[in-house]
Amino acid sequence: MEFLLELLTEELPASHIRSAREQLEAGFRQELGAARLAVDGLRTLATPRRLVVVADIASGQEDKDQVVTGPPLSVAKGPDGTLTAAAKGFARAQGVDESRLEAVRTARGEYIGFRRTAKGAATADLLGTIVPRVLGALSFPKMMRWADSPFRFSRPIHGLLCVFGGSVVETSFEGLKAGDTTLGHRIVSPREVKAADFAGYTSGLEANGVIVDDAGRKAMILSQIDGHLSPLKADLLPDQDLLDDLTLNVEHPLVVFGSFPEAYLSLPLEVLSTAMREGQKLFSVVREKKQLPHFLGVADAADDAKGLIRAGHERVLRARLADARFFWDRDRKVPMARRAAGLKDVVFQEKLGSYDDKVQRLKKLVAYVCDKIEAPKIRKDAVEAAGLCKADLLAEMVKEFSGLQGRMGGLYAKQEGYPAAVSQAVYEHYLPQSLDDPSPSSPAGAVLSLADKLDSIVGVMGVGIQASGSSDPFGLRRNAQGVCKVILDRKFRFSFGRLVDKVLSVYGDRLSVGREEAKKACLDFFEGRIRFILEKRGFRYDLVGAALGPGIDRMYDVLLRVQALDALKSSPLFEPFILMARRVNNILRGLPPGKVNPDLFVEKEERELYSTFSIVRTNAQSMLARGDYARAQSIMFKLQPALNNFFDKVMVMDEDKKVRQNRLGLLQSVQKMLAGIADYSQVVVEGDKPGRARA
Amino acid sequence: MSVQDLILNLHTFWAGQGCYLAQTYDLEVGAGTMTPDTFFRVLDKRPWKVGYVQPSRRPDDGRFGDNPHRVQKHFQYQVIMKPSPSDIQDIYVRSLRSLGVVLEDHDLRFDEDNWESPTIGAWGVGWQVLLDGLEITQFTYFQQCGGIDLAPVPVEITYGLERLEMFLEQKDDIYDLDWSADVSYRDLRFREEKEFSEYNFNAANVAGLRQAFNACQKEAARMVEKDLLLPAYDMCLKCSHNFNLLDSRGAISVTERVKMIAQIRALVNDIARKYTAPKEGL
Repeated sequence: MEFLLELLTEELPASHIRSAREQLEAGFRQELGAARLAVDGLRTLATPRRLVVVADIASGQEDKDQVVTGPPLSVAKGPDGTLTAAAKGFARAQGVDESRLEAVRTARGEYIGFRRTAKGAATADLLGTIVPRVLGALSFPKMMRWADSPFRFSRPIHGLLCVFGGSVVETSFEGLKAGDTTLGHRIVSPREVKAADFAGYTSGLEANGVIVDDAGRKAMILSQIDGHLSPLKADLLPDQDLLDDLTLNVEHPLVVFGSFPEAYLSLPLEVLSTAMREGQKLFSVVREKKQLPHFLGVADAADDAKGLIRAGHERVLRARLADARFFWDRDRKVPMARRAAGLKDVVFQEKLGSYDDKVQRLKKLVAYVCDKIEAPKIRKDAVEAAGLCKADLLAEMVKEFSGLQGRMGGLYAKQEGYPAAVSQAVYEHYLPQSLDDPSPSSPAGAVLSLADKLDSIVGVMGVGIQASGSSDPFGLRRNAQGVCKVILDRKFRFSFGRLVDKVLSVYGDRLSVGREEAKKACLDFFEGRIRFILEKRGFRYDLVGAALGPGIDRMYDVLLRVQALDALKSSPLFEPFILMARRVNNILRGLPPGKVNPDLFVEKEERELYSTFSIVRTNAQSMLARGDYARAQSIMFKLQPALNNFFDKVMVMDEDKKVRQNRLGLLQSVQKMLAGIADYSQVVVEGDKPGRARA
Repeated sequence: MSVQDLILNLHTFWAGQGCYLAQTYDLEVGAGTMTPDTFFRVLDKRPWKVGYVQPSRRPDDGRFGDNPHRVQKHFQYQVIMKPSPSDIQDIYVRSLRSLGVVLEDHDLRFDEDNWESPTIGAWGVGWQVLLDGLEITQFTYFQQCGGIDLAPVPVEITYGLERLEMFLEQKDDIYDLDWSADVSYRDLRFREEKEFSEYNFNAANVAGLRQAFNACQKEAARMVEKDLLLPAYDMCLKCSHNFNLLDSRGAISVTERVKMIAQIRALVNDIARKYTAPKEGL
């Protein structure tokens, strides 16, 4: 039977709506499951004023066979087998006839008892308690109180519509009694709408200006946008986040097309689109990535027959663009280098000093990285960009639109005539902001991005601040993922550990955590991040674990190793090879390192293994140095026959201590070579029980 | 409808909702929230309804009369209803209709915006109200003021009068607004904007402002000691305005800014704490 729930509220923020929908879906699934109610097609819908749940739920719980036990059989029956007073008392208390009593076997022994069928409860009754429980458990990043109540929610709540199988569910939530009515659109049609089922609910609301289904609203927005843009042969500047938010900001979408004076086209696209987006939430209209003097907005209205909405937005935008031009003209009067001097007064982090301190560190760090990646040509540009990159924090435009930091500095540097490589590096040094973001496109930009983020991470962790759970005030995870992504995208193969050492030494005695401790915390943290990134890219968790075995010092090599493992996992040799590697590990477990001396070999098989190994090692090593782990691995696979023969024919644990240790030493050399590619013990092969591999 | 008519209309509307119509406070403040008719009255448990016009001084927003919509002094219409009525959004929508706005022809939005004023230890949850993309009102359920959790919760509605008037008159330039039938906004304010912009950005005596800030801060602390909380609060407002002037003169570093705001807030929080403390012998 159909269940429909609507909580009517004041306008909820889009982020709260998303979170509430997830919580509602999970909450109802869990509560209905716990109540043994079969549920089908559970889904949520939302508008800024409504959280809606709809589902098909069984009409009631299934009847359940139960066994009720009383006193132990030894107490319940006399030696003659007749019921004792204790048994009779039990029957009376339970209200069952004595004839229904029988012996019941339990884990604790035999008891007297009886069987009965418990009637399942009706869903409508159960929903009466489930609904307020699920709603009451909703929580939001920022909650508020209102009026006289201590109750906290995202925004004040106004109505509860709750019907099951066409009837109102007897329930209430925070003083709202459930009913079968709601209200239409606040402005278009604020009338009462009665709904006994989902079909009636959606059509009733649609007739009163509300499109409840957000997928439907998004489709309306997209088709209206297309209607405006296709005659112009123009596009939107893509902005998925804005589209998603707007879909959740309106109950009745109406796309409004407007224009602004062409004189403003002299402002950069970045500034124009930001001025449109911030505050007014307008989309930029572009053709071949060039701004046209138009915008699109999404109104919450039935129509704009008089053109007043369009005219209003145009008027507001003209004023905003006038302001943006004021900032653009004023900012460009101050040279970047002079502005950068003011960074002495801008705190980066209380214990880590000012942004000027940071800039001075960045100059040293980018120089170091450029040396390590053997890129002397970009060294000068990267250092110059490091000196300028934070200056725009003091620009009026960035104070007004903080999202333009970095990009604004790049645009101003370009205007001022700095080399293209310098302005480009400044422009893109905040990239990537997320794993979906591209890395900086220029080498100097990539180096600066890496240095800036790592400087922040090492510094923040070095004064004892950690990311934990949902708390990550300094964006350590985001920054670390940015560092990993730049290294992977740029295929940097320098020692990451030594770079961390360099950052620590540039900080000098500013940090409160000891160097070794800070370095370890930092590397552990990065290992977690790189694991996260590789698993997100779809590599099997056990292969990722294995590839991390040799460490993250050469971070890009972790990717190469997991790719090699991944490529070979379907080869017929793969499983035998893994098992063989494990066999080597197992036999050596807990033994101290030993040395191999070819003169001490006794058996033919050990000599053969040694000579094969010597060739394989030489060949594999040159592959490893090149980062060609796939080839190195297939070369190592060639050890398998010799190793098998060795294990079959040679008694490793020979009585002669010298012979024994020599054999173990040989195996340790093999193990050491294999460990250069992966910790094969982590790889799960068919036949392994799930969970055997260490997570 | 002129600015003057707009004010008269709002007075009539909110008086009809039971608001007491206060007179403008006679000190410079950054927002209507900061005057005693809001600051002190939201702290206690008693119901309170008030509406008033308050000039808001933001020295940094000065544009020498060159910008069609930014000014270093503008007018707010401030409403406080405590406790917040459950139909306050509807009441607010009716207030717009009472100004003759046919909302069916427009796009009215309650857009997430959580207001805070670190200087007076206040924050709330709510929206900026947008009419065809123009921010006409800040609508806030006040949660804390002077560092004190507020219960009952007041709702604060702050109309930006010039913004609303530009919408009503469909004008692009603030100086073209009609204050009354024969007095324009330009007549009243243009010279003031020019001269104060020059004062705020270039002419004000930085050393003198610093001395004034320090003197007011000391006096506020002294008055808090004497339990003269309203005079103490006035001194905090003077600190705040001196701070804003120093800021627009570019005389305050980012570090110093945080420190000075924290100094004012500490005093304001002391005042709020003392104001709400249970009275002896009662």
